[in-house]
Amino acid sequence: MSLNLFQVLALIVLAALLVVTVVAAARGWASRREAAAWSALWLIAAIVVLWPGFLQAVARALGIGRGADLLLYCTVVVMMVGFLMVYVRLRRLRREMTLLVRHLAMRDAFVNPDRSRQA
Amino acid sequence: MTRDAVYPTTSPITPNLRRDAFIIVAAYNEGPAIAEVIAELRRDYDNVVVVDDGSNDDTADRARLHATYVLSHAVNRGQGAALQTGIEFALERGARFVVTFDADGQHRVEDIAALLSPIAAGECDIALGSRFLGQSENMPSARRWALKLAVFFTRVVNRVRLTDAHNGLRAFSRRAAERINITLDRMAHASELIDQIRASGLPFQEVPVRIRYTEYSIRKGQSTRGAIRIVIHYLLGKVFQ
Repeated sequence: MSLNLFQVLALIVLAALLVVTVVAAARGWASRREAAAWSALWLIAAIVVLWPGFLQAVARALGIGRGADLLLYCTVVVMMVGFLMVYVRLRRLRREMTLLVRHLAMRDAFVNPDRSRQA
Repeated sequence: MTRDAVYPTTSPITPNLRRDAFIIVAAYNEGPAIAEVIAELRRDYDNVVVVDDGSNDDTADRARLHATYVLSHAVNRGQGAALQTGIEFALERGARFVVTFDADGQHRVEDIAALLSPIAAGECDIALGSRFLGQSENMPSARRWALKLAVFFTRVVNRVRLTDAHNGLRAFSRRAAERINITLDRMAHASELIDQIRASGLPFQEVPVRIRYTEYSIRKGQSTRGAIRIVIHYLLGKVFQ
């Protein structure tokens, strides 16, 4: 089996990504589960690069004309879900930040000295 | 202090009200106006709480001249967040009434007593200022239409009939303030507040108040584009809470 230039370059990039993922997991930067998920993604990508017919076959089985179209649809769905997850997380983070800021403001409240002269 | 101190409705500010009402002023970059607004409030009320919402100017320093308490948000969190901070602080300090008052000088201090009197008399737990029941000076017509639209929005989405949904002058009894929890940090809190008032099941009233539209308060107010952003923010908040 002879590889074309694109396949060679793509495989080099994917191999590098796999190495980075494994190293990250080994050094504890990413959890094992995360590392496994990313590794699976790189492996699937490698399979698709090596045997483009595989993607084509899956696309046809789903009633989509071309493998590239299937890839495009999947990308759109994944990105939209990703955006939603980031949005929800951002909201929670903002909420937590507000609670923290409120806690500090109440703890360090300035009380006017002339308050004591009244009442 | 007994729980059932008497608050006559006739005299505007009794010594009890003077002491028991906490006035919350949320301020973001209000340096030019804040000192005067606070000084005026302090003449009638002992407990004026300024929440400086991470201002970049000298708002906090100027507030300290006259305010009873100044709380500072380390970073800007929005008016809704600032009001909630003030409300929680007031409750912690034993407030029996909590009033929200805008920092830009658009409200009249005299109107606070008008809002407090039905609450003190036990007629309601929440009093909301309405500029459309009262008179307003120099209201720009674009502002008038935007506010009318907001009232319509409130009727449809919040299912509450109000004449003025977005007035910063409001008064709460202690038990009403305890049930309020503003979670929408920015300006959409006004609609959220109405939802919570309705959900609390506590009686509320609208009281006519007068708004002074000065060149300063108009500049500091909402633009129409800002209003659209607020609506979107509020609706997203309903979906993703």
